[in-house]
Amino acid sequence: MSTTTSTRGGAADLVSAAPPPSPSPAGQPSSADPLHRRRGRIGLLFAAPWIVGFVLFYAAPMAASLWFSFTDFSLTSPDPIAFVGGDNWARLFTDQEVADSALVTLKFGLLSLPLTILVPLGFAWLLTAKNLWGRSMFRTLFYMPSVIPFVAAVLVFQGMLNSQTGWANRALGAVGVNGPNWLNSEAWIYPTLTLIALWGVGNAMIIFIAGFNSVPKDLYDAGEVDGASSWQQFRHITVPMISPVLFYNVVVALIGLFQYFLVPFVLKNGSGDPGGATFFYSMYFYRMLFRLQNMGYAATLAWLLFLVGLVVTGALFWSAKYWVHYEFGDQS
Amino acid sequence: MTRIPVRLAVLMVLMMVLAACGGSTETASSTSEDDPAAATAEDEPAGGDATEDEPAEDETADEPDDEPADPATGDAVQIRWFVGLGAGGQPEQIAAQEEVVEAFNANRDDIEIVLEVVENDVAYDTLSTQIAGGNVPDIIGPVGRDGSNSYAGLYLDLEPLIESTGYDLSRFPAETVENFREPDGSLPGIPFASYPSAIFFNTELFDEAGLPYPPQSYGPDGTATYGEGTEYEGTWDFDKVAEIAAILAVDAAGNDATNPDFDRSQTVQWGYLNQWTTLMFAQGTHFGAGSPLAEDGTADIPQAWEEEWTWYHDGIWNGGWAPSQEQFDSELLSGNPFASGNVAMANTHLWYTCCVRDDDGNGLDFWDLAVMPSHNGTVTAKMHADTFRIMAATEHPDEAFEVLTYLLDDSALELLNAYGAAPADPGLTDAFFADLDTVFPQGVNWQVALDGANFTDVPSHEQALPGWDEYKLAMADFESAQLSDPDLDMATAIAELEDELSGIFAANAE
Repeated sequence: MSTTTSTRGGAADLVSAAPPPSPSPAGQPSSADPLHRRRGRIGLLFAAPWIVGFVLFYAAPMAASLWFSFTDFSLTSPDPIAFVGGDNWARLFTDQEVADSALVTLKFGLLSLPLTILVPLGFAWLLTAKNLWGRSMFRTLFYMPSVIPFVAAVLVFQGMLNSQTGWANRALGAVGVNGPNWLNSEAWIYPTLTLIALWGVGNAMIIFIAGFNSVPKDLYDAGEVDGASSWQQFRHITVPMISPVLFYNVVVALIGLFQYFLVPFVLKNGSGDPGGATFFYSMYFYRMLFRLQNMGYAATLAWLLFLVGLVVTGALFWSAKYWVHYEFGDQS
Repeated sequence: MTRIPVRLAVLMVLMMVLAACGGSTETASSTSEDDPAAATAEDEPAGGDATEDEPAEDETADEPDDEPADPATGDAVQIRWFVGLGAGGQPEQIAAQEEVVEAFNANRDDIEIVLEVVENDVAYDTLSTQIAGGNVPDIIGPVGRDGSNSYAGLYLDLEPLIESTGYDLSRFPAETVENFREPDGSLPGIPFASYPSAIFFNTELFDEAGLPYPPQSYGPDGTATYGEGTEYEGTWDFDKVAEIAAILAVDAAGNDATNPDFDRSQTVQWGYLNQWTTLMFAQGTHFGAGSPLAEDGTADIPQAWEEEWTWYHDGIWNGGWAPSQEQFDSELLSGNPFASGNVAMANTHLWYTCCVRDDDGNGLDFWDLAVMPSHNGTVTAKMHADTFRIMAATEHPDEAFEVLTYLLDDSALELLNAYGAAPADPGLTDAFFADLDTVFPQGVNWQVALDGANFTDVPSHEQALPGWDEYKLAMADFESAQLSDPDLDMATAIAELEDELSGIFAANAE
């Protein structure tokens, strides 16, 4: 008797070949079974380094930060930490910087989030086209920016987009176009940041390519037989079939948006210029934590970010049942 | 059979835990007090004010450095000396400090100095953590006033120890000592290194424009005269600075800023700027010393500051002779504006001698020093000063003071040379400037800088204020607006700033 009904070879075969645990009277492995318990202990031992690491470096700091959010903990104060109840949490609702920085993040997200999904999707679609010549070369070239350290890239962009001496405006000027003030105009800063973000979409593109390649060809053959156009094939075959990949990239992009920090920090040194347009929520958090060393309130800001991220991601997972198609059924 | 996998599992877990522990220990030690490898002094050339965007003196030191000088010996009182907030993190500086420590420890059985060098990037966090954890070092420094202000109120008032030991302060200019005094009358610092401010001017650009050089001596009342006997003759004040700065600012077409065809967006040469001293309380002090903290605890920006802020904003956006933030960031000025050769006058401190150099560190020869211009008949040459401070939490104040005076006196020259710092003690300046003359052989008039010490800003522009870190951030935000927003309504912005500062002062009032 085997607990597996089918095998695909490899690891699955090894699992099915292993002696099965002794079944309970109900047919399930029993926790009272010595072999089952021993295997459980071995499993725990192997998992112990991760468990220890998780507790020490994730769970405990999270618990500590939750506690700090109810205190006036400040690194620069020699006074003992005092419990302040919900003061820090109440401050969130009266702190204009929280609302302003959240709005900045939202405004940037409205522009950048769709583009950082659609552009790599488009690249992936182009790079999986049947008749594309030099496919591997193009894939390499499109992915290449992703291997460059982003800080270095942002510094290069800073020079390139300088409205007076950057070559972007010089090039535009050569064809008679007055280049915009990319980095110091409130109107242009979000398109500029989005442009920089799009430069590094190689990872998402690679994942989309893998998604495209996993779509069974017979579905397209059937579509062609039924007279489906290329767009109809893309809309009704490709998109549903890659929807789990799409879902994954949306989740990653959304979390990346909440944590968006590096580019505006390198470009503007945390100043929020121009006119506060780059003062993202994570920038405010950084300022509170590292510049002002107000650990109590910074922990509260971090927890707010975590909770908002949790809710939004949760909503996304909830919505998945309406638009994400899993070939082998529900994967949640 | 099952014992083998269990043992194997235990062995593997142990190995992984050991490996993990080994790795984390190594990482921690790289920034710990005991093994401060890769220490840096990024914020300042030799000390001074890190928040005014002063330059890094050097790059990160890669060599492991300072084990505590000696193991504890017998009953000797250990005095921990924390280095990292300013200078002191370069390999050669660490070596000099170690020598100073070893020399002291070799001759003393009762006191042992324990040197702790921490990488500048993490020095504030490390010290903050130590303070929060009750593990406070006895002495910190070298550090400028601004760098010290984050821990205002945590320093020992040295005056009682100065009096009880008869320590001689008379060798320092009185203004330099008073510069360290806090509003409550305490004196938590003794002068060690001083950096008066002056105008660094580009002789080649003045020659090219056919303009007389700025004056190099202060008059009897402090004010000076520009261009005596020429068509430009007049009082050396900030109006005169703006006048000649406009002549020295040039666009790509060769028009200077007095020409109606001058295109500000195509400027290739600027007349004047604040070099790495742009924070509003610093630049405002060019027009006069003051404090934004009113007696009633609210914020009231000094009139002189408001005038300077407006004047400089106008110079950027209307006059076109001072660079905006974007021009600051451009390849024409990026990083080190005056040293680029594209700026005629830079208002900065003596520590800037660190950086009027080419990429190989060789001194540039196109510059000299001029006296500070006056404003409404008053000259203010704001001062930066580095020193060592004793933490009030020290358990051994007498021993700490003994070590402090050892650093300030017996080891002063050795440390000053290592830090590249200008001595606060006038008796030690000759050797310092002789060394600088070898780097800048054009014959810089160093007396200008020394004379500037007579016009020190009192109260200091870096005097501690309630909520200092928040205050600085508010000032930095204002600075960003000044350098980036051509339409900034200065009066409205100042009123908003005062409201914000009043809130900060009130929230942090003792």
